Amino acid sequence: MGADLQTILPEIVLAVFAMSALLGGVYGGQDRTAPLLVWLTAGVMVGLALWIGTATGTRTAFDGSFNDDPFSRFAKVVILLSGAAVMLMSRENMTRRGILRFEYPILIALATVGMMVMVSAGDLIVLYMGLEVQSLALYVIAALRRDSARSTEAGLKYFILGALSSGMLLYGASLTYGYTGTTLFSGIFEAAADGVSLGLLFGLVFLITGFAFKVSAAPFHMWTPDVYEGAPTAVTAFLATAPKMAAMALFARVVHEAFGAVVGDWQQVVAFLSVLSMFVGAIAAIGQTDIKRLMAYSSIAHMGFALMGLAAGTAFGVQAMLIYMTIYVTMNVGTFAFILSMEKDGKPVTDIRALNMFARREPLKALAMLVLLFSLAGVPPMVGFFGKFYVLRAAYEGGLAWLAVAGVLASVIGAYYYLRMVYFMYFGEESDALDGSMSPVAWGMFMASAAIMVVGVINLFGIEPMAAAAAATLVN
Amino acid sequence: MPLILIAALPFLGALLPGVMIKAGRNACAWTTASVTLAALVGLLVHAPKVLAGEVIHYRLDWMPVVGLNANFFLDGLGFLFALMILGIGLLIIIYARFYLGRQDPMGPFYTYLLLFQGAMVGIVLSDNVLLLLVFWELTSLSSFLLIGYWKHLPEGRQGARMALAVTGTGGLALIGGMIILGQIAGSYDLSVILTQKEAIQASPLYLPALILILIGAFTKSAQFPFHFWLPHAMAAPTPVSAYLHSATMVKAGLFLMARLWPVLAGTDAWFVIVATTGLVTMVLGATIALFKDDLKALLAFSTVSHLGLITMLLGFGTPFAAVAAVFHIINHATFKAALFMTAGIVDHEAHTRDIKRLGGLRHLMPITFVIALLASLSMAGIPFLNGFLSKEMMLEEVARTRLGIPLLLPLVVIVAAALSAAYSFRYLGHVFFGDEREDYPQTPHDPGFGLWGPPAFLVALVVLIGLFPAAIAGPLVAASAGAVTGGDLPYYSLKIWHGFTPALLMSVLAVMGGLMLLLFHYPLDKRWIATRRPEAKVIFDTVVALCVQVSRRITDVLHPGSMTRYTAIFAITVLIASAVAWNSSTLAAPGRELLPVGMVGVIGWILIVVSTGILVVYHRNRLLSLILLGVTGTIVSISFIYFSAPDLAMTQIAVEVVSIILLLLALNFLPKSTPAEGGVERHLRDVIIAGAMGIGAMILTLAIQQSDFSQPTISAYYLENAKTLAGGYNVVNVILVDFRGFDTYGEIIVLGIAALVIYALTEQLLGGRVGRKLADRPHDPTLSGDLHPMMMVVATRVMMPLALMVGVFIFLRGHNAPGGGFVAGLVVAIAILMQFMASGYDWAIARQRFTYHGIIGLGVIAAILTGVASWLFGAPFLTGAFAYYKLPLIEEFELSSAMAFDLGVFLCVVGAVMLALESLSRLARRKDDRTRTHPMDIDPSRTEDEPRPVPPGTAPAEAH
Repeated sequence: MGADLQTILPEIVLAVFAMSALLGGVYGGQDRTAPLLVWLTAGVMVGLALWIGTATGTRTAFDGSFNDDPFSRFAKVVILLSGAAVMLMSRENMTRRGILRFEYPILIALATVGMMVMVSAGDLIVLYMGLEVQSLALYVIAALRRDSARSTEAGLKYFILGALSSGMLLYGASLTYGYTGTTLFSGIFEAAADGVSLGLLFGLVFLITGFAFKVSAAPFHMWTPDVYEGAPTAVTAFLATAPKMAAMALFARVVHEAFGAVVGDWQQVVAFLSVLSMFVGAIAAIGQTDIKRLMAYSSIAHMGFALMGLAAGTAFGVQAMLIYMTIYVTMNVGTFAFILSMEKDGKPVTDIRALNMFARREPLKALAMLVLLFSLAGVPPMVGFFGKFYVLRAAYEGGLAWLAVAGVLASVIGAYYYLRMVYFMYFGEESDALDGSMSPVAWGMFMASAAIMVVGVINLFGIEPMAAAAAATLVN
Repeated sequence: MPLILIAALPFLGALLPGVMIKAGRNACAWTTASVTLAALVGLLVHAPKVLAGEVIHYRLDWMPVVGLNANFFLDGLGFLFALMILGIGLLIIIYARFYLGRQDPMGPFYTYLLLFQGAMVGIVLSDNVLLLLVFWELTSLSSFLLIGYWKHLPEGRQGARMALAVTGTGGLALIGGMIILGQIAGSYDLSVILTQKEAIQASPLYLPALILILIGAFTKSAQFPFHFWLPHAMAAPTPVSAYLHSATMVKAGLFLMARLWPVLAGTDAWFVIVATTGLVTMVLGATIALFKDDLKALLAFSTVSHLGLITMLLGFGTPFAAVAAVFHIINHATFKAALFMTAGIVDHEAHTRDIKRLGGLRHLMPITFVIALLASLSMAGIPFLNGFLSKEMMLEEVARTRLGIPLLLPLVVIVAAALSAAYSFRYLGHVFFGDEREDYPQTPHDPGFGLWGPPAFLVALVVLIGLFPAAIAGPLVAASAGAVTGGDLPYYSLKIWHGFTPALLMSVLAVMGGLMLLLFHYPLDKRWIATRRPEAKVIFDTVVALCVQVSRRITDVLHPGSMTRYTAIFAITVLIASAVAWNSSTLAAPGRELLPVGMVGVIGWILIVVSTGILVVYHRNRLLSLILLGVTGTIVSISFIYFSAPDLAMTQIAVEVVSIILLLLALNFLPKSTPAEGGVERHLRDVIIAGAMGIGAMILTLAIQQSDFSQPTISAYYLENAKTLAGGYNVVNVILVDFRGFDTYGEIIVLGIAALVIYALTEQLLGGRVGRKLADRPHDPTLSGDLHPMMMVVATRVMMPLALMVGVFIFLRGHNAPGGGFVAGLVVAIAILMQFMASGYDWAIARQRFTYHGIIGLGVIAAILTGVASWLFGAPFLTGAFAYYKLPLIEEFELSSAMAFDLGVFLCVVGAVMLALESLSRLARRKDDRTRTHPMDIDPSRTEDEPRPVPPGTAPAEAH
């Protein structure tokens, strides 16, 4: 018991912190404490990231239902850092919008606890528990702006569809349990090694359905544009980063640790999700003028690429997926730092046509944004290209050459709307100017993210061997 | 100088102009020039070795895992291109110093230019295809910045956008092609790939790779049908046009084709695609160029045409054609860059580039005239100039190549060459010859040396190569052509006079034809203007608009924001996935028999189907829906009884009652009727989807229930041990309070919290604006007159003690017979609820002595104490114990720790249900509810001075 608790100590620390912060918030100054809480929560999360990041070895707790291995640590560090970054950079914006409630950092912390549990889960029940802790917190923050019909509608839609997908997931989990007699991934792996019965296959399909919803892969992506658009931008920024990493890591863990013996049974499904997501994301974004909806479709397409790595069914594929997701999260932090600053006369602007001739007024910001957009499009030499390259190669080597070719096509289509934004920034018609300012923190995040996209080409900051080690623990 | 440094120098140097601009424009320009010069010198150091046929390598591992290495190599081809890039780059830098006006920011210009230069050098020196791709896209990026340098011009914007869209897309296609190529060859190093000709051409992926690579090359080199972006990019400042669009960037595509020539060329696919594209581009570009009035547009289309020529030569796939191609690349770069610069001079001096507004400049600007004369004659293919030589070689090759029907190719090429000569002559004739005019926007003069020096240098090369080809260009052509063909060179000689050959005849015909075309230019031009022809820009814009429209259409269908649409898509996908899963797996033989279907079962089934069906049809009538929901629930409860699960049935019935009451309360807040949505079609769609889902679920359930799970169920264990370990016969209750007591413990706490949250939420709501609005809402005019019928009031009051008794009974028997704390809690809650419903809120709340919060707390405390008590006996939390006692007069009865725990459950359920319902019903109350006056509509006591009940929130009043 003691050793078990030792293993999940980071999660316990964050959960206890969130609960004490809640008490402190309620009985303390309520929303007046929010800025302080944001800093505090971010501090705790960064501290945890350092703690987890420097740990070594592989441990399990609670009879194998919770793993502390390089894979989970990799994902956790990305989740914690991106969560903290998003929170910090949106603080100022939320204060201006008047939606910085003290619950916000607490809910983020709770969602993060859920995500940490998700990526460490070694058991279907733990998985579900983590997933719901995360999802429930996210439903609430999606509807954070209670007096806005769009925000509440977004939250409600997210909740209903999320509940539906959770239902599918649970159904899948119970079928899996019924036909393997265990909820432990390791046990399922052994049971599935003898072949997949019809019931287990249904379990797998329903589980994947649930995960696909969580990573917003087409055709389970319908909530994404509405929620991204309706939720406050700060929340959208969060939704687009850490939860994606968590859900993707969870997806990878389940298909490899529990169903790694029957790659053939899920490979085609994941490949299908991947190709559909890439194309839906790329094609649907073309007609969008709302930058938040655009980022929603962009995230759908990016998830398609990440799934491509997963579809390869190899350790290299998982490594590629992890690298892809890390890069994706970093790019999105920077991009949303910029979107948060899009304002005119104190009102948020989300129409991309408002970016017209942005380069003339803010050459540095425009250049940074250009770098980020090129990186999102996967244009060399930006780091985003390397992410794409990893997954394309993984798919090709995994025997899915058609998927790699489809991926290239999709990225060509998808490049259009990123380039269109660049076009508006550099050559748009002269029109009313954006006058939003950026807080120093957001500015720092924005510039750092853009700089990483360029400087990272040297060696990707050494995440490559880490991702390889992480992938090795999952696939063997 | 190491190769990596040559490629890196411009990038490093790109930092300098921004800094040096502070020291003045000259300092800025000279710094930039010296950076380029340094790189050029570094390159020239390698010249002897390279010209001798050696290949110089530089290797540096970057990301070996993905095959990305910073490997460079320098062979003849790379040397030729690097020389052009750096050499012409140097001239352009000087030229731009004098060309750019005072108001043009010079720092950024030189920075972009150096970035571009570095990227170009990188492309031609890369030994790794991934590295090459990196540089390739960098050229797109930096050229985008350069083309859009004059941001204030709308053409500049559109040109930059089009250039970026076309070359960017091509670049991404190229990535795909290169990756496939690398995968086939097993390495991303060019020096390895170039040795894998057989493997690559035999691979089934050869054709996709070829097409993708060619798309990349064609877009970059403005080949048909991607040629349209180049003229629009001419909005850039002239130095940019001269550099990017004549000498370097547009040649990157040619470079790529030449570079991969050893492995890709020689197949039918290569020949057909590349040669045809080149031919079409050559003719088309030349035709359009003839009729362009903008000097730069004329030159732009002539560039398109010449690029087509070189592409065609590469497409022939013969070594001789490759030599001709390489030679023409050199020649074209020299005369075209010079021509662009002269066009820039004219524009700079006369302030117009419109040919129709120019003419007679030869006297006004003699130096410029001489430069333009030599350069354009070279372009036209006049002897003693270099353009003639490579054109001859081209014609010679054409004369012996067959494409389609015989003689077709030579004829088409003669036409193209004639057109080419015509526009060259036109450039001269309509700009420099003719009479001087009075109406130039500004009277032109020859500029200073800074502007005419660079083109003069190039024209000197034009003449020198034209006169002494073998001496000046011979070694370079040999080295670079050798690198292209990757082996021995065919016999060729670079000289002016080859005797009377077919090529010479064709050349003469072309020049004559060119002169004729120029003579008839005026009528032809009128005809040309009169003909409608596809305008590339319009097509491009239309295609873009169409794509946007299609995408919008798709988005509108997929994401209209409607939940029903989303759930429909969700459902259909799950159905399809299930169908696939069903088909791809074999169903195990059924391990269990189906139960025989009895009469009761059939009736129940019919009832449940009918009530659900009616519910679907009449769902807009909310009250009816609720009643039908009740029917369905009741039948489900009965079916539990039918399958011998009385415990479940009891719980289910109690839950049904409570939830129906809850829904009844909710009806208060909902509109009276649901708006009708959709038409028949939509309903039909929904029926089909829902029906399919239902049938799918049924099939799956049937299949699952007939097969065995992988492990035996655990029911047997509980049946066996319920009595011996926990002392109870009612297994369900024993599981709840004993075996899985800890779960129940958690659940009751959650239940309590949920109720408290509902309370807190309604409290918050009622305290605010919403609360006042709710309290003030108008009465429903169709309110029933008899709110609290006396019969019901009396009956409920009589039933109260009975109901409570039943509750106690059910609670007590729970351990051994159907019942237990949970059901008992619900029964008691219903008993109290009846009072609320019959006698009204105020009457009931006034008689409420214990707060529900307290009851919940009490329940949780009871459960905790039960758990903690086991610690006193040294057992883990919530360990059960039981014993049987016999009291006089009563039968033997059991006392177990589980009962105390069950009491906790009971209290929690009562408190939670009541608190939740009370909170919600408070929402339903209005400010002036009539029930406040009296619990009954008729006062049965008939006493007038009865004390009125006090409003909630104050101390409870005494019961009467």
